[in-house]
Amino acid sequence: MLLSQEQIFKDMVDSIVNLNEETAIELASKAIKDNMNLLDVIEKGYAIGIQKVGELWEEGEFFLPELMRGAQIMQNCLDLLTPHLEKGSEKISRGTVVIATIEGDIHSIGKTIVGTMLRAYGFKVFDLGADIPAEKIVDVAIEKDADVIGVSALLTTTMFGQKKIIEILNERNLLDRFKVILGGAPVTSSWVNECNADGFAENAIDAVKLVKSLLDK
Amino acid sequence: MLFNEWLKNNSKIVLFDGGFGTELLRRGILEPGKLPDILNIEKSDMIVEIHKSYYDAGSDMCHSNTFGSTPLNLRTHSLEEKINEIIEKALDNIQKACPPGRLVVGDIGPTGKFRPPVGNASSEEWHSSFTTQTKLLEKGVDLFHIETISDLEEMLSAVRAVKKVSNKPLIASITYKKTKRGFFTIMGDPLEKCINTLENENVDVIGTNCTLGSGDMLELVKQAIDMTDMPISVKPNAGQPRLEGTKTHYDQPIEEFVRDIQEMINLGVKIVGGCCGTTPETISEIRKIIDLI
Repeated sequence: MLLSQEQIFKDMVDSIVNLNEETAIELASKAIKDNMNLLDVIEKGYAIGIQKVGELWEEGEFFLPELMRGAQIMQNCLDLLTPHLEKGSEKISRGTVVIATIEGDIHSIGKTIVGTMLRAYGFKVFDLGADIPAEKIVDVAIEKDADVIGVSALLTTTMFGQKKIIEILNERNLLDRFKVILGGAPVTSSWVNECNADGFAENAIDAVKLVKSLLDK
Repeated sequence: MLFNEWLKNNSKIVLFDGGFGTELLRRGILEPGKLPDILNIEKSDMIVEIHKSYYDAGSDMCHSNTFGSTPLNLRTHSLEEKINEIIEKALDNIQKACPPGRLVVGDIGPTGKFRPPVGNASSEEWHSSFTTQTKLLEKGVDLFHIETISDLEEMLSAVRAVKKVSNKPLIASITYKKTKRGFFTIMGDPLEKCINTLENENVDVIGTNCTLGSGDMLELVKQAIDMTDMPISVKPNAGQPRLEGTKTHYDQPIEEFVRDIQEMINLGVKIVGGCCGTTPETISEIRKIIDLI
């Protein structure tokens, strides 16, 4: 029996929400084989799925393992689908984000989760790792033609490095070229204002919403 | 053993110390990105002074400055080869400060490594790391406190490692986040499951510390107290941190914190203390209310 397109999209959504990688990959392979519109597959299927995973996390129904697993399954499906997208539709990438934990700070878990979620939502992410000097973060952002620079700091003693990013951009007259967002436990909106950054997020789902809203402007 | 006597004595409320990392920051001793544990070697006088300030404030027992001294965590800071020296100095420092009749608690914190799908740590890796730390601590402590653990699996590895190496008393404290559905670890373990699991592992005290301020922790205690007959230990944060210029501030008034601690004692909590943002002054104020009981 042929399934309606809506039913296939719904199965894709469910496969992500149920964290069922086997089904998610099977459905993606079938979509390629059946010449489905793969942009629709991503946007009406898998992307809705990962959005629901994020909602369940916000509701306290899902926790870190489910959030990460959902994002990884989504990423694996995207890796499978992307090479088959029609030429010209590479624009599926919503934008490019360079992300790092600032120099002197070795905390990487939060930053890695944000990177994984952004990828799952279709952003191109360059995760430079932890303990990265501000100058290097800016250099890579220029090299990769990033839209957004995301800087994490988990220590009140290292968060000054976040401000340094903005200062370097200012010195090089690059403030208009990038949006700069901050993350990490000690970061508050008053710190964002003091740094003159474009925003901060308290968790990975908020980070995705923030990047989306900044790039929609 | 003095700690066991305290546990058996129904009228005794045991007082821990307060924040250590935040105290180092407040005093301007900790440089950016530096692991507090290395200061056992580099600034031992200051470490002794902080321990002493907590004992002087009335703490019955204080933690060794070894929260981050597991091989796994030290490796992240390229300090793994210094583990023996760090822990030896840590024990030396706290023993210098500890007056007779008070106790030294071997502090064991998280490895900083998560299991899949969040990270790639395994239970074996955790277990081996906690075993190494416990062996080094064992000779110089009266009891152990595993704290700030956000994954029940990691806690189990730590508890089993400590119990394999030592017969000394063990407090096991998990850090919880408040969700719309109640208190859970960030890995999704609900409060009741954590308490039941720790009961089955035969720890001596079930505890919670960090993440939550005193108000939320009071709410947690109201639930926890109905879930177990075992002694409970609490170490809340002094509210949430706020950055001003280059300094971090914890704005919660001490009176409010102490009022919540008082209420937790009234509910039946056996061991109290403070985590991030609490100071010797906080401990001294808690001492006053305990002495009035």
